[in-house]
Amino acid sequence: MTDAPSLHPKGPRLDVLTEIDASCRLPLFVLFLSAAAWLVIGSGFELIATIKFHNPNFLADHAWLTYGRVRPAYLDAVIYGFCLQAGLGVALWLITRLGRTAETHPWMISVGAALFNIGVTLGILGILSGDATGFEIFDFPQYAAVFIFLGYLMISIRLLVTFHRRRERLLFVSQWFLLAALFWFPWIYSTAGLLLLSFPVRGVVQAIIAWWFSNNLLCVWLGLMGLAAIFYFIPKLTNTELHSRYLALLTFWFILFFGSWGGIPNSAPVPAWIPALSTVATVLMIFPIISIALNFYGTLKEQRVKAASNVPLRFICLGLLGFIVSGLMNVVAVLPSAGDVVSFSWFTVARVHANFYGFFSFVMFGAIYYIVPQITGLEFTSPKWVRRHLWIVGLGILLVVLPLAIGGLVQGLKLRDPNAAFMDISKSTLMFLRASTLGDLLIAFGHIIFLINLLGVLKRFSEPRALASYAAATANLFHAEAKT
Amino acid sequence: MNYGPLIFLTAFCALAGSWYGLVLKPQLQVGQLQTTNTIPAGAAYPVSRPGLAREGSEVYRANGCAQCHSQQATQTGIVCDVILTDAGTNQSAVVSALERLEQGLSKIKAAEMLSKLPATVLHGVSKERADAAAKALKTAEAKTEVWILPAGPDIARGWGKRRSVAEDFLYDYPVMLGSQRVGPDLANVGSRLPDANWHLLHLYNPRLTVKSSLMPPYRFLFETRDIGKNPSPDAFQPSAGLQPPPGKEIIPKPEAKALVAYLMSLHADAPLFVAPVTVPAPPPSGTNAVSSTEAGVTNATPTNAPAK
Amino acid sequence: MTPDTQSMPGTAAATEPQANWRAVPVWLLILLLLLIYWGMIYFDQNGGWFNREVYAPFHSEKELAFYQPTTEGTDLRRGQQVFNTVCALCHNEDGMGKPNQGPPLAGSEWVLGAPNRLIRIPMFGLTGPITVKGQQMIFPAGMPPMGAGLPDDDLAAVLSYMRQAWGNKASPITPEQVKAVKVQAPNHPQFTPEEIMQVPEK
Repeated sequence: MTDAPSLHPKGPRLDVLTEIDASCRLPLFVLFLSAAAWLVIGSGFELIATIKFHNPNFLADHAWLTYGRVRPAYLDAVIYGFCLQAGLGVALWLITRLGRTAETHPWMISVGAALFNIGVTLGILGILSGDATGFEIFDFPQYAAVFIFLGYLMISIRLLVTFHRRRERLLFVSQWFLLAALFWFPWIYSTAGLLLLSFPVRGVVQAIIAWWFSNNLLCVWLGLMGLAAIFYFIPKLTNTELHSRYLALLTFWFILFFGSWGGIPNSAPVPAWIPALSTVATVLMIFPIISIALNFYGTLKEQRVKAASNVPLRFICLGLLGFIVSGLMNVVAVLPSAGDVVSFSWFTVARVHANFYGFFSFVMFGAIYYIVPQITGLEFTSPKWVRRHLWIVGLGILLVVLPLAIGGLVQGLKLRDPNAAFMDISKSTLMFLRASTLGDLLIAFGHIIFLINLLGVLKRFSEPRALASYAAATANLFHAEAKT
Repeated sequence: MNYGPLIFLTAFCALAGSWYGLVLKPQLQVGQLQTTNTIPAGAAYPVSRPGLAREGSEVYRANGCAQCHSQQATQTGIVCDVILTDAGTNQSAVVSALERLEQGLSKIKAAEMLSKLPATVLHGVSKERADAAAKALKTAEAKTEVWILPAGPDIARGWGKRRSVAEDFLYDYPVMLGSQRVGPDLANVGSRLPDANWHLLHLYNPRLTVKSSLMPPYRFLFETRDIGKNPSPDAFQPSAGLQPPPGKEIIPKPEAKALVAYLMSLHADAPLFVAPVTVPAPPPSGTNAVSSTEAGVTNATPTNAPAK
Repeated sequence: MTPDTQSMPGTAAATEPQANWRAVPVWLLILLLLLIYWGMIYFDQNGGWFNREVYAPFHSEKELAFYQPTTEGTDLRRGQQVFNTVCALCHNEDGMGKPNQGPPLAGSEWVLGAPNRLIRIPMFGLTGPITVKGQQMIFPAGMPPMGAGLPDDDLAAVLSYMRQAWGNKASPITPEQVKAVKVQAPNHPQFTPEEIMQVPEK
C-alpha cells in the first residue's frame, strides 16, 4: 500500500477495491433486501387497489383494505421502502468507491436502515388502520415519521463523514448529486413533519407545504440520486468518458435551483403567484432534460453495441429514457393549455409512475444488479431470470404509463365538456385501467423475481460462510468428544 | 480545492431559496389569513365546521377519500348577466334602450319582457358591455342588476359557483385537496347534494344511487343488527337493491353520520372579495326563477328592487 | 463467465469513470435565455405580482376590484378602502374602537340605526360622552367631521361598508341619502349624541 491510490492513473488497486466492497457488504445487504421486500409488498397493495376498479366489491368489507388506504400504502411502500433505501444503498457504494475509502462503521448504516424499516412498517400499518395524515406522499403518521427521519439521518451523517474522509479528492460528477441528495431529505422531511404534523400551519398553506415536500422528494431527491447513478454507471459500463462535465454541472444547478420550486398545480386554491412560480420553474426544467439527453447522446454515440449484452446497462439506459419521458410529461402537465386538460386525470398518475418507477426504480435495478456481484464476488444464480426481470418490468411499466397517459388525456378532454355525463367519462377510462392492471400484474411478478434473484445470491454467499463458521465453532467440540 | 463545502453551500442556498419562496412566504401571506366577510352581505366567512362535520373530516382522511375525489373547483373566466328588475315610469325609453342593446329585438318582444320582470336582458357578456347596458337602461329610468358569474368547465358542471380560494379551507385540518377526479369534485357537494339520505345510501352501495359507479361500497361504516322492540329511525328502508336479512335492519354507524355531515358542510359558493360572484337570494314561492340579489335585502328600506 | 452482468472483481477493468471538460454548446445557452425570457413574461402576466388577493383568472387587484358586484352605486370594497384610510385610525380596522380615540362600531346601535342620524355623524362630527352598547364612553377630543370632505359616493360607500362588516347587518346607504342630508343641513356645528337622537329617523 505504498503508492497512494489516487495517483494511479487507472484507479485504485484491486485489493483496495475488494476491501472497500467488503466494508459495505452488510449494510448493502440490509438495504437492498429490505428494499426488494418492500417492493413486493407494495406491488401486492397496488394489485388489490387496481383490481377494485374492475370489481368494486373486491375485499370491500374490510376497512383496512379499502381503496383509499391501500393506494397510499402502495405508493409509500415503494417510495420510502424501496426507492429511498435502494438509493441510500447505491449512495453508500458510490461514495466509498469514488472516494477510494472503505466504510469504517458499517454497523451505523445497518442500524439506520433498521430504524428506517421500523418506520416504514409502522407507517404502512398506520395507514391501513386509518392513521394516514391525509397529505399525499406524506401519509405516514407522526409515530412512524420519527423513525424514518432518525434512520435516514443516521445513514446520511455516516455517509457524509465517509465522504469527508475520502482519499480521492477530485470529485466525480456523481458525488455532487449524492452530496446534495443526502443533505436534501432531512430538511424537507423535518419541515413537512413540523409544519404539517407537530405544529400545523393554518389552512391551505398545509397543501402548499405538502406539494412542496412531494415535489422535492419525487422530482429533486429521486432525480439527484438517480442521475448520480446514471452518471456513474453509463460511462463505467461502456468504458467511455462522460461527454461533458460542464453540461452535468448545469444540470446539477438547474435541478437544485429550479426543480425545488415546482409542484404547485395551476388549479390550486392559492394566490396566483404561487402556481405561476411553480409553472415557470417546471418549464425551465426542460433545460436539464436537454442537457442530460445531450450529455448521454455524446457519451453513448459509439457504444450502442455494448448496451445489448449487459443487463445492468440496459436497465440504466431505460432509466435514462424514463427520466427524459417523465420530465417532459411534468412540463406538459403545467403548460397552461395542455395542463388544464390533464390536471386531474390519470395522466398525473402516469407521470408520477414514469418518474419514480420508469426512471428511478429502473436505475436502481441496474445499479443493484451490478453492485451485488461486485460485493459478493458471485454471479446471479440464473442470469436468464435477471434478463427476464428486465423484460417483464419493462413491458409492465409501458403498459402502466402509456394507457394511463392516453386515458388521462381522453378523460381530461371529456371533463371539459359540461354536457358529458360524469359516469360516461368514468366508463371510458375503464379500458385504459384494464391495460394498466395488466401492467401492474407484470410488475408485481417482476418484483418477485427480483427478490428471489437477490435471495439466491445472498444464500450462496452466506451458506459457505455460515457452514465454515459452524464447523470452526464446533471443531473443538468434536475434537474434544473424539478424545474422550 | 476541496469542492465538498462548495457543493454543500450550493445545495443549502437552493433549498433555502425554495423554502423561503414556497414555505415561508406563503405562511406569512396566506397562513395569517383571518375570517373575512362575504360581499356584499358582510357575513363572516368561513365558519368553523360544526363538531360532527369535524369528526367527519377525520373519517374522510382515514379512509383516503382524497385519493379519488378532489376538493378544488376551478374557474377559467368571468362573465356578466344584466337583469332588468324595474321598468320605471318611462316605458317607451326603456323599450328603445332595449332595442339598441339587442339588435333585432322586436317591440313586441320588448314589451313582453317588460311585463314579466325581472328579466334577463343580456347573458354571458363582458363586464364592459354589461356596465354600458346598465347605464343605458338607468338613463331610461329603469332599474337593473349586473350579475357577476364565474365561468369554466367545473362551474358549468355545477361543481361550484366560483373557484375555491384559500379562505374556504381556513379552519380545516388536514386540508385534503386531492389531485384526482376518479370521482366528482366535492368542493361544493353540500350545496349540490343536500340530502343526507342520498349520501348514506351512496356510501352503503354507490351503485344504488349512481349506476355503474366505480366507487367501492363502504359497508363497514354501517352495521346490520336485529330489529329490537322498535325499528331504528336511521335504518334504511328496504328497496329493490337493498334487502337486509330477515329480522335485521341496517343502520349507519356514527362514522357514517359524521362523514355525511362533513360532506354536507362542503360549500364553494360564498361570494368573497377574492372570488366575486353574484348569489341570487332564493325567490319567495310563486315567482320566476330569476330574482334580485341578496345585497342588503335585510332592512325595511332596501335600495334594491324587492324580490317579486 | 456470462456476459449478462459485469465480470467478476479482480478481472474487471479497475478504472473509475472520468468526465471530459467539453464546453457547453452555445445554442443551448441561447435556448436557456429564451426560456428565462418566456418565464419572466409568463409570471408578469399570470403571477399577480405576489398579491395575496389575486387568484387566477384575475391578473391584478385592479381587475379584481373591477369585477366586484356593485349595489346600486354603493361599492363596499371602496368603502373598506376609505374606512381603512380615514376611519380606522380611531375606530380600528376591525371596528372594535380604540380607547380614548373612537368607540366600537361593530354591533353599535348608532351604526345600525337610522341612516338620517348616522350620516350626520361623520359629516358634522360628534362631541360629548356617548353610550355605545350600554357602556358610557368619553372621548376628550371628540370626533371631527371626517366625512365632510369626502365625495358623496365615498361617504355612502364607507357607511354602507360599516353597516355590513364585522357581523353588522343593515341596509346600505346611497349617495342620494348623503346628498339629501347635505341639502337639509348645509352647515351645522358638531353634534352631541343627544342632538343626534333628536333628528327624526326619516
